[in-house]
Amino acid sequence: MKTIDREKAIVGLLVVPAVASMLFFFYGFSGWNLFLSFTDWQGFVPSNRLVGFDNYLTLFRDPLFWTSLKNNFLLIALFVPGVMLVGLLLAILLDQRVKGEGAFRTIYLLPFSLSFVVTATLWAWMYSPKMGTINVLLDKLGLDFLKSGWITDPNLVMYCITAALIWQFAGYSTVIFLAGLRSIPESQIKAAQVDGASVYTIYRRVVIPQLKAPFVTSFIIFMCFALKAFDFIWVLTRGGPGYSSHILGVTMYKETFGLEKFAYGATYATVILLVSLLIVVPFLYKVYAKEEK
Amino acid sequence: MSRVQSRRVLVYLLLLSFAGLALLPLWSGVVTALKSSKEVVLSTPLTPPMRPTFAPLIEALDYLKRPLVNSLVLVGAGTIVSCFFGSILGYLFSKYRFKGSNLLFLLVVICLYIPPQVQLIPMTRVMSNVGLYGKLGALVLLYMFFGIPMCTFVFKTLYEEIPTSYIRAAMVDGAGIWTTYRRVILPLSVIPFVIAALLQVTIIWNDYLWGLVLTRGMANMPVTVALANLKGSFVGAWNLQMAGSIWVALPTLIIFVFLGKYIIRGYAGI
Repeated sequence: MKTIDREKAIVGLLVVPAVASMLFFFYGFSGWNLFLSFTDWQGFVPSNRLVGFDNYLTLFRDPLFWTSLKNNFLLIALFVPGVMLVGLLLAILLDQRVKGEGAFRTIYLLPFSLSFVVTATLWAWMYSPKMGTINVLLDKLGLDFLKSGWITDPNLVMYCITAALIWQFAGYSTVIFLAGLRSIPESQIKAAQVDGASVYTIYRRVVIPQLKAPFVTSFIIFMCFALKAFDFIWVLTRGGPGYSSHILGVTMYKETFGLEKFAYGATYATVILLVSLLIVVPFLYKVYAKEEK
Repeated sequence: MSRVQSRRVLVYLLLLSFAGLALLPLWSGVVTALKSSKEVVLSTPLTPPMRPTFAPLIEALDYLKRPLVNSLVLVGAGTIVSCFFGSILGYLFSKYRFKGSNLLFLLVVICLYIPPQVQLIPMTRVMSNVGLYGKLGALVLLYMFFGIPMCTFVFKTLYEEIPTSYIRAAMVDGAGIWTTYRRVILPLSVIPFVIAALLQVTIIWNDYLWGLVLTRGMANMPVTVALANLKGSFVGAWNLQMAGSIWVALPTLIIFVFLGKYIIRGYAGI
């Protein structure tokens, strides 16, 4: 009995710091950030003076907040369905018993291995108006009427960012959908083939309806990413030109560390957190807490 | 050509064009990094260099060498500590169900989705209070603990595949919870450790925001922050920017090319 107790103590000694640090760094910090959003902390000296909902009232009257929110919604509305569709398409193509499937999958996944700082630098070169890859390519193909300022054009910059992010995440999306496709029993598809169903019908009626799990997973992952995105846009455009590519994460960073409005920055962060939790928690609860009953 | 054959051709054409799209920015980056500044202006971004030169790569490496070492330190410390704790927690969550264990595990998983923005300001404050603000040590400390939820999740998922009967057999033999971990679980943990470690290495190596906020000066900053600075200070020097990108991209590219199947197993679970 005694050794058993000693063993429990060893495990306890290891578990306690791990769990405590997790609670502190994730939940403690989130709570602390929430608290800071109710203070008037500006400038270098921290302040804990409570000002109620003042920061939130300022936020809702701040045109920059609405611009950032609008840009963020645009990003979500284009990026999330975009990356899911490309991923589904690539997964279906890879599922056709192709030669070199592994090589294709690796190539598609390569952009996802890179830091956003690297991809932003690569795409700065792609989109460079003067001699960047895309404009030069359009020139060569005789499509020079399509040449444009890309990320220097306030009307195009969010679309340019979305396209590059779809490029970066398409491989990840493909992996999720491919795992889903592979989990469908082959007998079902065989049965449909025997019944004389066309390829299109098989996908429409048999395959796609069974991909609910990968659809939900990828939706949650990409949605959360688009809400908290910062690195790629910051390195590529600094939120510019003007405010045209400010999204919530970018504005939060500028307000906090550029203008030293710490309490106000905490308010932005709280909004990002609340929206993320609203999307994620119901889903996660369903997946992980259900079995308890 | 029959219909089936033409469909095959279409499939391959599509696969190849998407592969081309995926590789296009990388190709453009590599060929540009091998050109002199003069050739960058005179040639297109896609043509291979007429006179390849390693000068930009050497110059970029000289600029990035200290931050590269910093990032290695971060990756080492963060990966080892997170994996160790993650393995133990994953073991407990997968093999010892107790009242509320699902709920506690839910709390672990939610951590993966908490946006980093909420941690920035408290993090800055804590690090200034303990005198680590601006230093590499601040990041070392944070990466050691911030990877724990992710590692716990990965280990828990993979340990589910180990039959519970192994655990019961060890218990019957009188092994306690710690001996069972050491004698039964750890020897079966090579693949889980590889998967979790590769995930941590890529995540920490590629991270940017925390380094941007918490570190000051070349002696402290991770390589991603240094690359962003390089991009900001050498505007127009595309060959140098691409050369810097290659150095930062190389380790994770190698991991994905040669150990991609482990990475995929890790990401497929999340």
